[in-house]
Amino acid sequence: MNKRIDVHHVTRVEGHGNIVVEVADGKLKECRFDVTETPRFFEAMLLGRPYQEASHITSRICGICATGHATTSLRATEKALDVELSEQTRLLRKLTFHGEILDSHILHAYMLVAPDFLGVGSVIPLASSHPDIVLRALRMKKLSGDICAVVSGRHTHPIAMTVGGFTHFPERSALEDLRQRLIAARADVDETVSLFSSLTWPEFERDTEYVSLTKPDEYAFIDGEIITSEGAHLPVEAYLQLTNEHLVRHSTAKHTRHRRESYMVGALARFNNNSAQLHPRAKNAAAALGLKPKVTNPYLNTAAQVVEIVHCVEDSIEILERLIAHGLQAEAPAPPRRSSGEGVGACEVPRGTLFHHYAIGGDGKITSANCIIPTNQNLANLEADMRRLVPHILDKPEPAMQLDLEMLVRAYDPCISCSVHVLKLDPKRGGGR
Amino acid sequence: MTCQALCGQQVDAASQPKRTLILGLGNPLCGDDGLGNYAVQMLAARQLPAGVKVLPAGTPGWELPNWISGWPRVILIDAVQMGLEPGARRRFTLNEVRLIAAGEILSSHAPDLATGLALADALHQLPDEIVVYGIEPERCEPGTEISPHVKHALDGLVDDILREIV
Repeated sequence: MNKRIDVHHVTRVEGHGNIVVEVADGKLKECRFDVTETPRFFEAMLLGRPYQEASHITSRICGICATGHATTSLRATEKALDVELSEQTRLLRKLTFHGEILDSHILHAYMLVAPDFLGVGSVIPLASSHPDIVLRALRMKKLSGDICAVVSGRHTHPIAMTVGGFTHFPERSALEDLRQRLIAARADVDETVSLFSSLTWPEFERDTEYVSLTKPDEYAFIDGEIITSEGAHLPVEAYLQLTNEHLVRHSTAKHTRHRRESYMVGALARFNNNSAQLHPRAKNAAAALGLKPKVTNPYLNTAAQVVEIVHCVEDSIEILERLIAHGLQAEAPAPPRRSSGEGVGACEVPRGTLFHHYAIGGDGKITSANCIIPTNQNLANLEADMRRLVPHILDKPEPAMQLDLEMLVRAYDPCISCSVHVLKLDPKRGGGR
Repeated sequence: MTCQALCGQQVDAASQPKRTLILGLGNPLCGDDGLGNYAVQMLAARQLPAGVKVLPAGTPGWELPNWISGWPRVILIDAVQMGLEPGARRRFTLNEVRLIAAGEILSSHAPDLATGLALADALHQLPDEIVVYGIEPERCEPGTEISPHVKHALDGLVDDILREIV
C-alpha cells in the first residue's frame, strides 16, 4: 500500500506549516511537519534598545498572545532589575492576562476547531448553519477583548503595562461593568461546555512528558516554577535544561526535548499538572468534558482550553471583586532596585510555557535576549504524535487520513509565525556551514 | 464609547444625519498598509457631524461583525490592491466589486477584510450601507512611514469622506 499526504499550508492555524506523510508498501517512510516561515529576528531587534521598550517590541511577536509576550517580557526585565510588584499590579496583570487567554481559547475552540466537528470547512459556513454558535463566540471574544482594553488600554498590544506597574488605571465603573458582564457570560460559558461535551473526539492516546509552570497557591499563568509529568522541578532560570533546543532540517523553528524524545506544553499539559487548583466550576466542566488527569489524547487539548475558559471567567470575577472592594490606587510603577542585571520571565500563555531571558547593561540597554515560544516546544511532540497516529489510520482513504492529521495539528493550536527563529542557509549555494 | 452604547441611542432619522461608523483598517507598523490609521487621525481632527464615530480598527479579522453590527452606515478606509498607480484612490460599495478573499482561510488568526465581511454577511450583520474608500499602496513593509503618493492621496480621501457624511 502506497500513500502520500502532502498538505501544503495547513489551514486554520496561524502561520505556514506543511504536513508531509509518505507510506510505501504499508510502512511509514516519511512523517514531518514542515515549518517554512522566515525568521523575524525579534531577539536581534531588542539588542541595544532601552529596557523600557522591550515589552512593546516583543508584544508584536504575536497578535494573539500580545499580552502574554508583554507580561513575560516585563517579568524578565523586572527580575533583571529587581523590581518588586504591588498586589494591585499583580491582580491587574492577571486580569488582563485572563482576558487574552479567553480571547485566544475562544478563537481556537470555536473558529478553528469547531468547524471540523460540525462538518463544515470553516467558520463562514458555520455562521450560516449554526449562527447561534458563531454569535456566542463573537460575544465572548468581545468581552475578552474588552477586559484587555479596560485594564491595559487596548484589545491587543497593551499600552498601559510598564516595568513595575501600570501607567493608566481603569475607572471603578468600568471594573463593575466588566464584573457584571462576566457574571452574565456564565450562560455562554455553560453553553460552551455543553457544546464541546457533545463532540466525539478522535480516539488516540500517546503518553508524553507534560510541561507547565506551577505555583503553590494558584493555577499558574504568570511566574512559578517549571514542573513536568516526569517528575522534574526546575526554577524558570534553568529553562535551558528543559528546552534543549536543536535544529531539524525541515523546520525554521527549532525543536525541543527534555526527558523523552519530545514534550508537550499548553492547556492540556497545564490541566494534567495543575488541575487540582482549578476553580470548582472549571472542575465541574472538566468532569462534563470527560477529562481526568492524566489525559494523553492530544486532540483533547481543545477540551482543556474549554476548562480554562471556565476557570479564567470565574477567576476574573473574583479578581474584579477584590479590586472593587479595595479600590484602585493610581500608584506609580515600582522602581528598579538595580541598574543592570539578568532575568528570566516565564508565563503560561494560551499555547503553553513562554520564556523571555534578557541581560540589561548599566546604561539600561539590552545586551542579550532569548525568547522560547510554546509552539516551538510542541513541534517535536506533534511529529511524534503523527508518527504514532498514521499506522492506525492507514486503512482510511487519503482525504480522511489528511483530515485526521490536520485536526491533530490544529489541536495543538500552533502559532507558527511566532515559533520561527532559524535562518536556513543552503551551504552548497551560500558557501556557509 | 462602546458600540453598544452608541447603538442604544435613539436617533430621529428624519432630522439628523445617518449614524455612521468610519473604520480605518490596516497595520500601522507596515508602511502603507496602515494608511487607514492615518486617515482616521486626519478625520478625527476635523469637525464631524453628530452621530459619526471614527475609530482605528487595525486588523479586526473575525471580530469585524462586532465592530460594525448595529450601524446603519459603515465607511471602511483601507489600502486596496487594485492594480492601479500607487496613491490612486477609489470609492466603491460591496455590490460594485468582488473582494478577493483567500479561498481557504489560510492564517485563521487574522483573516482579511473580505473574510470578515463574508462572516458578517453570513450572520446577517452587514449594515444597510457599506462603503470602502481604498488607496493603492506603494510599499507595505515594516515601518511606520507611509509613502508620499499615499500621503498626498489621503488629503483628497478625507475631503471626499467629509462630503459624503455631511
